This record gives sequence, structure tokens and C-alpha cells, in this order.
Amino acid sequence: MTATSTSPTMTVAPAAPTVTSRIWNVARMNMANPFLTLVMPWLITAAIFLLNLAIMLMVIRAAGGRENLDPTAFSYNGGISWILFFMTVVAVQTMNLTFRFALGFSVTRRDFYLGSALYFVMLSLIFGTGIAVLAGVERATGGWGIDAAFFAPDGLAEQPLIVLWALYVMALLMFLFLGALAATVWVRWKAYGLYGLIIGLAVLLVAAGWMITASDSWGAIGEYLTGSPILEVWAWTLPVTVSCAVAGALILRRATPQA
Amino acid sequence: MTAIIEASGLTKRFGKVAAVDDVSFALEDGAIHGLLGRNGAGKTTLMQLLTGQDFATRGTARVFGESPVENAGVLSRICFIKESQAYPDNFKGKHVLKTAPWFFPRWDQDFADTLVEDFGAPLDRPMKKLSRGQRSAIGVIVGLASRAELTFFDEPYAGLDAVARRRFYDHLLADYAEHPRTIVLSTHLIDEAANLLQRVLVIDEGRLVIDADADDLRASATTLAGKATDVEAFAVGREVLDRSRLGGLASITVTGLNEQDRLAAASAGLEASAVSLQELIVRRTGGAEAGEGKVV
Repeated sequence: MTATSTSPTMTVAPAAPTVTSRIWNVARMNMANPFLTLVMPWLITAAIFLLNLAIMLMVIRAAGGRENLDPTAFSYNGGISWILFFMTVVAVQTMNLTFRFALGFSVTRRDFYLGSALYFVMLSLIFGTGIAVLAGVERATGGWGIDAAFFAPDGLAEQPLIVLWALYVMALLMFLFLGALAATVWVRWKAYGLYGLIIGLAVLLVAAGWMITASDSWGAIGEYLTGSPILEVWAWTLPVTVSCAVAGALILRRATPQA
Repeated sequence: MTAIIEASGLTKRFGKVAAVDDVSFALEDGAIHGLLGRNGAGKTTLMQLLTGQDFATRGTARVFGESPVENAGVLSRICFIKESQAYPDNFKGKHVLKTAPWFFPRWDQDFADTLVEDFGAPLDRPMKKLSRGQRSAIGVIVGLASRAELTFFDEPYAGLDAVARRRFYDHLLADYAEHPRTIVLSTHLIDEAANLLQRVLVIDEGRLVIDADADDLRASATTLAGKATDVEAFAVGREVLDRSRLGGLASITVTGLNEQDRLAAASAGLEASAVSLQELIVRRTGGAEAGEGKVV
């Protein structure tokens, strides 16, 4: 028998899955149990929001009415930012455990990374959209009837909803791919890799500080950050996100699923 | 038959340790093969090299005629079940079985359902909370129901009791008969699996020490017992793997007896018995010749 013939007892293999179906399969592998990443964040967000609301109502009651408080009393709130850190953890879990699981299911590293990146983009869109919609409700109800700002706190309050949506999506993408990068470094080089990554990032930050100080441009930067359209400033997260995504892909390409 | 797996000079080093050391072999398709050896001998690393999960330091691995590394075409035809398989934190058994058909094109859901019932696998509990045996059961179910053209089982039944292991062998044989494919079974419970195996690879300290047809291997050594003087007389000039003596009686295990030798032994009043695969392998890998031919 020649090397190309198949033995008669073996049935012919089904056609190999296409690259798009392989990538989609990885994306939905990440969502096989949707509770933790697609349901729970809303429950926690609801809990944080309702607790905040309860505190505000308590304050109003103590003050003897909303009108006795400063109009901006409930405008400062960072509660929603918890979701960024949650997503960082989601990305870390994906690149660590789900990576090892996927390789055990005969997935290539490339398909795994692309499928997981697709999943991260989907998460960012889902949560970015959800928060923007809630911000819309917040506005439509006059800040839940008490001039409160939770989903679009001070600094974002004046932005159109579509801008708000873009900001949340960009922020979620950055935190997800930062987490992914850190986790791929861990999977590939374990603790020493993480030390290196943290020291490397610290060196970058200090070097940037030096350069800004040496060129006497802190003022210009401050002006840029406060004076430019917020969307333009936040768009600077995109090169960071893309760099993390590319670095993560390169690092994972040679990673092995060792326990 | 054609070679489904070909390894040539395959080597994997972790620092100074060669986990797999210059291993070359070929396995035919359409059979159940055994990859045997002691714990830490390099079985898992070898299978990780053959499934593209690890990268060779030197040498080549070819599966279905191609390198398996990052090769989706090859990998989609392979299923590799290992004891150390990691699962996503929030996965229950049902999520494992829900995802499996997306990655194994020949998945048989009915068969999987039967196996779940037969092994009593808990599907509604987090994988991380399962016992070793329960995790093994899930792995075995995936490995069998995936019906991959090439399936690796690496110690698939760690933590499973004798009854469950028996069930695994029965299912494996029955399903293999109906859907022939290639199975590579790695285990240290050699005698349990011995009569399933067509070809036997034994690795010890990373090196391939036996690569033989299971029947040839069984025939390659015989134990002879009788009066010590008769036994010693017969042993002269032969390769003796093992000898033991009790009072005036002795037994030896010798290699390469032909028909004539057997007759001679019988007429000398010696009783011949077959050596179990396990005994043979224990002698070759852990026995008296330790230290020979080992490279660190």
C-alpha cells in the first residue's frame, strides 16, 4: 500500500472544520457555561447599584429631602468600574485554564487565541452596550428620580450615549487584553515571566516619566488630556490594546499546557 | 497497513533532563497499541509531542504524514485524553460533553449518553469538585465517544476501580470492533491491558527500550522450572533475564527459545511457562540491568 491510500476498514474522515467554524467553536467554548461571564456580572452590577441607591436614599432622608442637598451630590461614582477588573480576571482564566482545556480538545494555539479574542470583543460589545443602555435609562429617569449618576458618572455625564458606549467598549477591550497578556506570560514563563512583565512595565512608565520631565511637557500633556475631546483621548487605549493582543498571540504561540 | 504515527530521533529536554530521548518508531493504523513504562518514564511527554502540545527539542514527529504542531487538519482527527487534563474553572461535566462535539467531528452523542450512564459520571457538579475517578470517567467518555481516528489514552483510568476499568476495556473493544481506528493506550497496569495490544512500546527514562509486536514479545521469553542442576545445565550459553532458586529447585527466564530448545527443555524435565508482559517489561526496565545504556 502506498502512503496515500487508506485502509479499507477505516471510514473516511468527515471534512476538516473550516477556519471560521474552528474559531467560532473556541469562542462558544468560552461561553459553554454562560453564567459566570454573561449573567453574574449583571447580578453583581445590580447589587452594587442598588446598594448605592439605598445609601443615596438614606442620605436624602437624613437631609430631609433631595432639595437640601447639592445638585451634584450623587454625580461622583466609580462603582461601575468594577467590571473592568472582573473582565481582567475573566481574561486571565481564559488564557490559563481554558487554554489548557482547549489544547486537550485538539485545538491549535492559533485557533484558540483568535477564538478567545473574538470572545473578548463580544464581551466588550455586550457589556459596553448594556452599560450605555442603562446610562440612557439613567438619563431618561432624571438620574433614577434623584439626580444620581451611576452608569455615566461625573466626567461622562455630558457625553452622548454613543460616545459613552465607545468609551466603555474601549476600556473593556483594554482590560481584557491586558489580562490576556499577563496570563499568556504566566502560562509561558510562570512566575519569573510575571516578574519580568511587571518590572518591564515599571521601567516603561518611569522612562516615559523621565522623557516627559526632560522635555518639560507635563503641562502640554495635561492640557491635551483635559482639553481634547474625550473620545480622542480614550482612543489612545487602542494602540495599547492592540499591542497587548499581538504580544499575547506571539507569547502563546510557543506556550505549552503544563500544569 | 500504513504508519499513522512516525517518530524519528524525537527528543524533548527540560534543562538537563531528557524526558524523551532520541525516540524513533512507527505505529500502524487500525490497531490498539500500548505505550508502557514506569511513572515519569516520559510517556506523557511523548504523547504531548505527538499531539502538538509540546515542542520537540530535536527530531520529528509525523502523524497522518504531517507534523501535528499547530496543524488543525491533523489535530481535528486526534483525541488525547490525559489524567492531568485541565478544565475551565466553571465547567461541569455537562459543559465538557456539550463542547466535545464541536471539536471531534465523529462524535457520537448516543454512545456518549450510554457511557455516562454506564460509568455513572456526575454531569451536574463542577469538574474541580469531582474525585479523581469521576474525572477519569469523564475523560474516558470523551475519548471513546469522540471516535477520533487516532485516540491517545494516557492513564485514562486513574482512580477508577476494577469494575469501572473492566467496563472501559469492554467498551473500548466493542466499539473498536464496530468502528476500527487507532488507539494508543498508555498505562502502567500492563497485565490488565496486555491482551488488547497489538504493538508494545516501552519507554524507560525517556528512551525507547522495547518496540515489538505483543505476541512476539510474549514469545520472546520463557520461564523454565525444575531441579536446580538441570536448570543450570540448560542455562549454559543462553541469555538469562532472571533466575531464582529455592532449595534444590530453580527457575530461570530465558530469551529466544526455538522449537528445538523447547523439546530439549521438556526432555530435561523442565517445566516451561509463558512470561507475562508485565513481568517481562518490569525485568527490562527496572530489573538487574539498571544503569545500562542510560544517557542523562
